[in-house]
Amino acid sequence: MISTLAPTGTAPASGMTEASRRRAMAKANRVVTFRIKRCDGPGKASYWQDFKVTVPKNANVISCLQQIAANPVTADGKPSTPVVWDSGCLEEVCGACTMVINGKVRQSCSCLIDDYAPNEGDVMTLEPMSKFPVVRDLWVDRSRLFHNLKRVQAWVPIDGTYNLGAGPKETPASQATHYVLSTCMSCGCCLEACPQFNEIPDQGSKEANEAAWNSAFIGAHAISQARLFNAHETGKELKEERLDVLMGTGGVNDCGNAQNCVKVCPKHIPLTESIAVIGRQVTFHAIAKFFRG
Amino acid sequence: MSHSVAAAPDQSFLDKNYFLIRRLHSLTGIVPIGVFLIAHLVTNSSAAWGAFALREQLPGVNATADKGLAYFWKEVMWINTQIPHLLLIEITLWASIAFHSVFGVYFAMSGKSNTNRYSYQSNWRYSLQRISGYIGILFIFYHVATLRWGWTFLVPGGTKWSAEFAGSTLAAAIQGSENGYTFGGVLVTLLYFLGVTMLVYHFANGLWTAAITWGITISAAAQRRWGYVCAGLGAALMVMGWVSILVFAVVNPGLTRELEEGLQKGHSSLVEPSGNERLARAVRHDDELVVGGMNLNSNRTSKE
Amino acid sequence: MSQHRVIVVGGGLAGLSASVRIAEAGLPVDLFSLVPVKRSHSVCAQGGINACNEVARQQGFSEYEHFDETIYGGDFLADQHPVLEMANWAPKIIDLLDRMGVPFNRTSEGNRDLRLFGGSLFKRTHFAGATTGQQLIYALDEQVRRYEAEGKVNKYEFWEFLGPIIHEGRAVGIVAQDMRTMQIRSFRADAVVMATGGCGLVYGKSTMSVMCTGAAAARCFRAGAWYGNPEMIQVHPTAIPGADKLRLMSESARGEGGRVWVPKKAKDPRDPKQIPESERWYFLEEKYPAYGNIVPRDIATREIFDVCVNMGLGVGGENQVYLDLTHRDPDYLTRKLGGILEIYEKFVGDDPRFTPMKIFPAVHYSMGGLWTTYTKGSYNPGTALPKHKSGSPAPLDAKVGLGMQLGAPNNSMTNIPGLYAFGEVNFAYHGANRLGANALLSCIFDGLFCGVSVFNYVKNEAPGKAPAEGLASGAFDESVSRETARMKSLVDSASAGASDPATNPYAIGKELGDEMTAACTVVRTETRVKQCLTKIAELKDRYAKVKLSDAAGWTNQSFSYARAVGDMLAVAEAIALGSLERRESRGAHYRSDYPDRNDAEFMKTSLAKHEAGKTTLEFVPIDASLVAPTARTYGKKDTKKPEMAAAAS
Repeated sequence: MISTLAPTGTAPASGMTEASRRRAMAKANRVVTFRIKRCDGPGKASYWQDFKVTVPKNANVISCLQQIAANPVTADGKPSTPVVWDSGCLEEVCGACTMVINGKVRQSCSCLIDDYAPNEGDVMTLEPMSKFPVVRDLWVDRSRLFHNLKRVQAWVPIDGTYNLGAGPKETPASQATHYVLSTCMSCGCCLEACPQFNEIPDQGSKEANEAAWNSAFIGAHAISQARLFNAHETGKELKEERLDVLMGTGGVNDCGNAQNCVKVCPKHIPLTESIAVIGRQVTFHAIAKFFRG
Repeated sequence: MSHSVAAAPDQSFLDKNYFLIRRLHSLTGIVPIGVFLIAHLVTNSSAAWGAFALREQLPGVNATADKGLAYFWKEVMWINTQIPHLLLIEITLWASIAFHSVFGVYFAMSGKSNTNRYSYQSNWRYSLQRISGYIGILFIFYHVATLRWGWTFLVPGGTKWSAEFAGSTLAAAIQGSENGYTFGGVLVTLLYFLGVTMLVYHFANGLWTAAITWGITISAAAQRRWGYVCAGLGAALMVMGWVSILVFAVVNPGLTRELEEGLQKGHSSLVEPSGNERLARAVRHDDELVVGGMNLNSNRTSKE
Repeated sequence: MSQHRVIVVGGGLAGLSASVRIAEAGLPVDLFSLVPVKRSHSVCAQGGINACNEVARQQGFSEYEHFDETIYGGDFLADQHPVLEMANWAPKIIDLLDRMGVPFNRTSEGNRDLRLFGGSLFKRTHFAGATTGQQLIYALDEQVRRYEAEGKVNKYEFWEFLGPIIHEGRAVGIVAQDMRTMQIRSFRADAVVMATGGCGLVYGKSTMSVMCTGAAAARCFRAGAWYGNPEMIQVHPTAIPGADKLRLMSESARGEGGRVWVPKKAKDPRDPKQIPESERWYFLEEKYPAYGNIVPRDIATREIFDVCVNMGLGVGGENQVYLDLTHRDPDYLTRKLGGILEIYEKFVGDDPRFTPMKIFPAVHYSMGGLWTTYTKGSYNPGTALPKHKSGSPAPLDAKVGLGMQLGAPNNSMTNIPGLYAFGEVNFAYHGANRLGANALLSCIFDGLFCGVSVFNYVKNEAPGKAPAEGLASGAFDESVSRETARMKSLVDSASAGASDPATNPYAIGKELGDEMTAACTVVRTETRVKQCLTKIAELKDRYAKVKLSDAAGWTNQSFSYARAVGDMLAVAEAIALGSLERRESRGAHYRSDYPDRNDAEFMKTSLAKHEAGKTTLEFVPIDASLVAPTARTYGKKDTKKPEMAAAAS
């Protein structure tokens, strides 16, 4: 079981963590400048706009964006439009509100201002993810990410929803491994930080886009899901088809081992381990195919 | 159960053989290129440590530096006279380097470095792997062009290489002339330091990533442990590389050439006997030693 | 060639399971969602999903007891047959999810593990870490993706449902808008399944996701669909207060041993760990010796509210109590509750394994929703049975078809033929209070069980009727032009920059949320709710003049929000009206001026109808022919009504 919680041996008895100490230092109701990279729509030029927000304790980026939406006036007093952004659960399980904050990708809901801008006058920058086409402002179109799940057939091919008894038994250790992989919320952090996963310009049509995506690097996200389903008793059925895709152009071989993915993953999924596992599976698969024909 | 993701029929050659090319790219980096790099650096650095390995007393070779150069000379001579199928090995090596370089550049161009935002150590290594590859290719080209093909860039008169005068030509190449340092020589020395450093890094880091690519190191802990091994190997090779350059940066090319001529005038028995030969002598079959169809006692005869 | 097809609105557990079931049966499905379906609000469900399993069964627990607990937990407001069928299906649903690859926690032998949950003395809750909802929706998302790849499901993500299209009295499609391009268009279908979840945003801050405005249900309501039990809003006892949202702290924290307490001394300034056991008041354990900290949500919420608001014993004098797990082994906690403890650590900064968490109740779930009907199954005893005695043999086996008739076309259908309501937006299963870990179950049950009904409706009920595809375009064009005009009037009002709070949609939304939270949550009174209705009327007037700050014709989020505010006002009015008219206390609905349950008058569904711009409310009888109502006390001691306590124990 992976967790950000400090190892039990090292946690202070008071339960006060590094984060809580930093947060305790932050001043209430200070003014923080949000420098936001905006874009009115696809094909339009990006521009920066500053907004000043009075930040209470414990505020997160979302609550500040909500304030801006309710009162869209820039730092120099000019009337503007509400900043557009994508969000959902606001508790870091849906993956929607991912953006680039102070240069690094993360979820904006779990980004506490007290951590990033504890002082009066501090500046925070918000940018849309750069690897996906911008829809408007901070909202990007991550269709490619979901399409990549189709490329590796990231599902268990069950016989249908009829009542056919229980699934396979599983040891607690194996469950623990699979559970972590299965907490992937397809947020795209791993792809944003990956130097091998890069933006593909709009090809004009859905079909053309999908064709372009199919030959570009698939990224840690889908590779790790392929690992999850290759390990499932029934999911194994499609293992060879998945590996055929992953050994081809844009597959696991395109990984450059920069290992940024595992560092930015908000769910602490061992993505680089997944890449190595798939690397091994692909190696054996290729050898088996060579000799089996 | 097949879906829209099935491979398109009009695939390019690259797409059809993608896996093979990728894995060959990985493999060639280790065998033969990496293995050659180890051998090359071990041999070259013997100019520094050879004095301690030299077993016999050679005529006119007394100073420690001379002993080292003599040992290096013997090593080079042995390689160039005793290793069977040397041409075949060289062709394989050249083909591998060409293949590794061409596809390496092609693959590297698909990435976009982002160390400015994600300045993690592993990310720096990723970027450096690509940079070191580019520099390595240029360096190898320069290295070969000047020493093998006799290009004269930075070194007037050229430094075309031969096995007999490996040490002196190398010293002249690094120093810029047969008479010691020139301004061009300073540049060459720096280029050698840079090139060797980059290539050694490229190999050590490549060895680390290859273990992930092939699925040998799976867990983060295994990758970390293998990382220590690669770093250790890299450090050792780095020391050897730097020492080699240092040696040839300080020795006098002219005196080295004289030493080499002296060694050359001596007979071929100066070439250290091979392991087989020593074994053969030990069992008193030292007249006409033939192993595997090759006369190990005669010089170059097997090639001719 | 014309072909039948089905529209599913909403891509949470209910919408996805419906899509899978209907697509599998052979009808093409168009699936609409405000967000990529994988990001639906179902991901927020933490604790687990209830189902009887063999271990529980051999200890005397049964599907029947699960049913009985759900009815009792819901304070006898739900129609009982659908609940029975849901409990009977629960184990089969778990099996199916298991086959789909949900990583349920396991016992050492490799069987699915169980945990204790609110409202039960038996372990009957299956779970996958502390992110069960996420794991369940991912499994269904994967199956839908599989059908999508096969061309059987067509997804419209980032599309907003604007209303059903009703032709000759039946639903024949929807009008919807692409939230990116702002294109408004109509879609034809022979049946429309609403699986659009709850309406937490009516309360401003809740544990719900940002898209849970209730607008989709309101648009059906305004188009003539009835709304059942609107006043039944669950306030979850344990949430983490926050500026943008109140984040849930799962009931599983109490199921795994979490204890709720406050210092006995008001405003005790000491660190909680320094307060000795004797100076702590474990009020839930004291008042409910049998259930302790795992009493149902409405009860825990009211007790916490009482301790903080009425007794002034909240931690540090604020509205918060301790939820304490520090007596449990930290490694055990990481294993069983890692996900939720991490959320607390992330948003508050304290590690709950070593420091008691500070929590307070928050709006969490809408038991009420679109009213639906069903066809009763074959179990119809002459007289209702008394409440089942826990651990004793079940009066009947768990058989499919006992509670509801499988495949009857009207199961979970609203009063508009062809318009269905599945999941949280369906009012059917939870009565006046939902038990923990029953929500995931009801969503998937609706999708799987009633998905068959949709198929049968389309194939059998509409024979002779042309597929919606063949209809004349009149109703479709009309709805598109109506919505286009509505958009134009809102967007035309826009001018950039700050606007007058009186007509600012965000200000109106916030005021609505504050008012609803103050008037229609834990404790309600006639006076306060009437005041609330007046406020809603005022907000409606202001909303008529609402002014946007963005005139963009591309991805105009503030327009989408402003439009939803109008619909939220409609839901709010129905909630307030129900809160006013239900002059009794039942489950989540507590009226301090009518503190008793009144079965004679109010063991009935409150039914809100919207006609000619006016909302009315009436009470209609329920079918409670399976279990006879009893006092719902959970063995409370030290209560103001000792006669009820005696009756329960």
